[in-house]
Amino acid sequence: MAAVFRLLAARIAVSALVLIGVSILIFAIARIIPGDPARIALGPNATSEQVAKLRAELHLDEPIWAQYGHFVHDLSRGELGTSLYTNRPVTTDIAQFLPATLELLFAAGILMIGIGLPLGIVSAKYRGGVIDNAIRIVSLLGVSAPSFVWAVILMLLFAFFLPIFPIAGRISTDYEIAQVTGFLLVDTLLAGNLAAFGNAFSHIVLPALALALSGIGQAARLTRSNMVETYDKPYIEMARSYGFPGWRIARRYAFKPSLIPSLTIIGLDFAAMLGNAFLVEAIFAWPGLSRYGVAVILRKDLNAIVGTVLIISATFLIANLIVDLLIAFLNPRIRYARSPQ
Amino acid sequence: MKSLFKTLVACAAAACVASAALAERVLRLDEVAVGELDPGKASDYADTILMFNVYDTLVLPRQGGPGHVPHLAESWEGEGTSYTFKLRQDVQFQSGNLLTAEDVVFSFDRMVTLGQGLSFLFGDVEKVEAIDAHTVRFTLARPYAPFVSSLVRLPIVDKKLVMANLADGEGEMMDWGQAHLSANGAGTGAYIVQSHNPLEETVLVKNDSYFLGIGEKAPDTVRLRYGLEAVTVRTLIAQGEHDISSQWLPPEVMKALADDGNQLLFEGGTGSFYYKMNTTKPPLDDIHCRLALANAFDYESVLKVIAISENVAGGTAATGAITAGMFGANPSDQPLQRDIEAAKAHLAQCQYDPAEFSIDITWIAEVPLEERLALLLQANLAEVGISSTVTKVPWALFADMVSKPENTPHVSQIYVTAVTGDPDTLLYGMYHSSAAGTWQSPEYLNDPEADRLLEAGRAGATDAEREMAYSALNERLLAIAPTIYGYDQLSVFVARPNIKVPAMSDPSMAFGLDTMGFSFRLMEIE
Repeated sequence: MAAVFRLLAARIAVSALVLIGVSILIFAIARIIPGDPARIALGPNATSEQVAKLRAELHLDEPIWAQYGHFVHDLSRGELGTSLYTNRPVTTDIAQFLPATLELLFAAGILMIGIGLPLGIVSAKYRGGVIDNAIRIVSLLGVSAPSFVWAVILMLLFAFFLPIFPIAGRISTDYEIAQVTGFLLVDTLLAGNLAAFGNAFSHIVLPALALALSGIGQAARLTRSNMVETYDKPYIEMARSYGFPGWRIARRYAFKPSLIPSLTIIGLDFAAMLGNAFLVEAIFAWPGLSRYGVAVILRKDLNAIVGTVLIISATFLIANLIVDLLIAFLNPRIRYARSPQ
Repeated sequence: MKSLFKTLVACAAAACVASAALAERVLRLDEVAVGELDPGKASDYADTILMFNVYDTLVLPRQGGPGHVPHLAESWEGEGTSYTFKLRQDVQFQSGNLLTAEDVVFSFDRMVTLGQGLSFLFGDVEKVEAIDAHTVRFTLARPYAPFVSSLVRLPIVDKKLVMANLADGEGEMMDWGQAHLSANGAGTGAYIVQSHNPLEETVLVKNDSYFLGIGEKAPDTVRLRYGLEAVTVRTLIAQGEHDISSQWLPPEVMKALADDGNQLLFEGGTGSFYYKMNTTKPPLDDIHCRLALANAFDYESVLKVIAISENVAGGTAATGAITAGMFGANPSDQPLQRDIEAAKAHLAQCQYDPAEFSIDITWIAEVPLEERLALLLQANLAEVGISSTVTKVPWALFADMVSKPENTPHVSQIYVTAVTGDPDTLLYGMYHSSAAGTWQSPEYLNDPEADRLLEAGRAGATDAEREMAYSALNERLLAIAPTIYGYDQLSVFVARPNIKVPAMSDPSMAFGLDTMGFSFRLMEIE
């Protein structure tokens, strides 16, 4: 257990350094790209005096190192400044939009694991057969098209031609749900409102599926290829010779060692979905952080850009940290690699 | 697994029953984010829709004709540098407070102090004072004929409510209520803000104590959504879950929706699409070269580029430098014509050899339709032997580029609208030499005659004087061609057939001011 804690501490220290590096980098890049944030924020009709006044308020007339000093000072008080886009504190915006994106990511992650891994296992077990080929084709289709293409296809199929699922927002306007966690599926259950839960569930199906399809295909393909390799190992031959049932071999002896590479990829996919979520959120009018992030970049909203990138980086780092810990848990060789023993 | 499925089906069924039970007149529409609720900062389309419904102004544009009518004001008198307004005495804010002259003074002071939105319109106002509880006087530094029309951009806020909700800030007035007004309403308007998320949705509900009353068929609730994608709007309208689109849908999507039986709504007459030529940059510093470009442009084909269906387009033929219907505009049956021979003749007189220059045409990246318009101009110029390049420029970069003449491209494509409906707010910012170097004026025109006529139009004491000044300006701008006047813009919206919007479907009810057609109290849902 001590080894796991050492690993955790080392990872957290590295993550903190990465976050500091990201903050400096994004702070500088956001200010170097062309376009005057004050001019953009005030709109086309603003006068030069109005623009100059706002530039002074934002400290944009000071050197970049002085601006970074203001940023660090605000950050030390838990503030990220005010968004020029929404005229609200960036922390308020993030608190509002992050749960929606995380809920979507979790739903997509569950689909990715819940469908992708079993498909890979079944495919490997029936290697070369009809089922294997069918799953390989479906997986290939999944990875071949980006999420936003799936989003449009799913919308056309299940909302336009077959109006089964709603396509905009997180829940119907008929429901007023008090925000507790920000995760509507959880909040509706906490409120004991099953009808609202069903409604929120129906809203998340299409965006989550669109976001997950590529990951499902990737997880299935990777799990299959790893398991196929594992099936050729001598200890599997031995298990077979002992007469163990096929599903027991698959589950206990072939799947577990094959899981480590799949898990690594799933972890990366999960974090990458944050980026892919933008277009899916835009198409399904999902009020999430990815859509907000792109909007603030286009408006050169400096505070909001830095805040959003930091949160996305932190999410990426946390996802990787969890994956590292899971892998360490599954594979003792990694866990003890740096221990003195 | 089976039980989970059954639960979900039961939940979905319950959701349907619940939604059917809540039948009311709900209007759902969308606009580009972000929805700025603070009336002192309103400038974009969504902001203005909110402003016109949550707040009221002293005057309103007259429906179906020129001029203005009293609104919060009962009457007004004055000209030159002094205007006195008598307020109605039966108007209550949504908070229950009575409207007084102090509220008008406060609203003006707040807007000018914040210095955002359209506050520049009031730069010439020297003083605003409450004469008594229901009389307010504006004193101007110099005569400004469009002053009354500017007042449609001065929303009146509830002083008492704002003062009770001041947040941290410098000085006695702290934040001038910015934090409060960015999330709440404080107006007398026909609709009350129920909830507001500037990136997602604003929900408004009918103000039953509105001083003019609201029709029974007007929407009870309005849901203004922000940032919906075209494919989403297309599907939502087809499903009956959305009522009015924004004007930014691609023409193909509008056509498909119209073909499905939906109606098209219109708003126009206040702005145009322009190809603005940098008059300081060779070869366009030569008047003949500019006239060659203006004559080479195909004014008929541009209407095909913006066509939505056979009979409807996102604009009408330009008749000159001034949008048809405004002071000084040419009659709408005299559209500009392409004249290849004239273009060649002017090119021959140009001091620059067309073989030795190339024109850079830029279009704004956020408006995809502009690429087609740029390609049309490029093709037109090629026909007279002028080579050109087409470049996509993001708005943020464009606004920076045009701040210096040497960085400003040869041709900049821009839509400009008169924010008050008066030609002064359309033309002064574009063509007066003191206004050069903004996104509206990449021409960098420095023409004393145009300056003189713009000043005359601004100071004209009577409509006849202004008509004469702008008519002469129109002629002058056509003669020196700082701009290719592409077409007069017409904003087109798709609406479901059960929505009635007289101000956007019947010209005799139109306001002649962008977004005013979205006065929800005048709409009906069948």
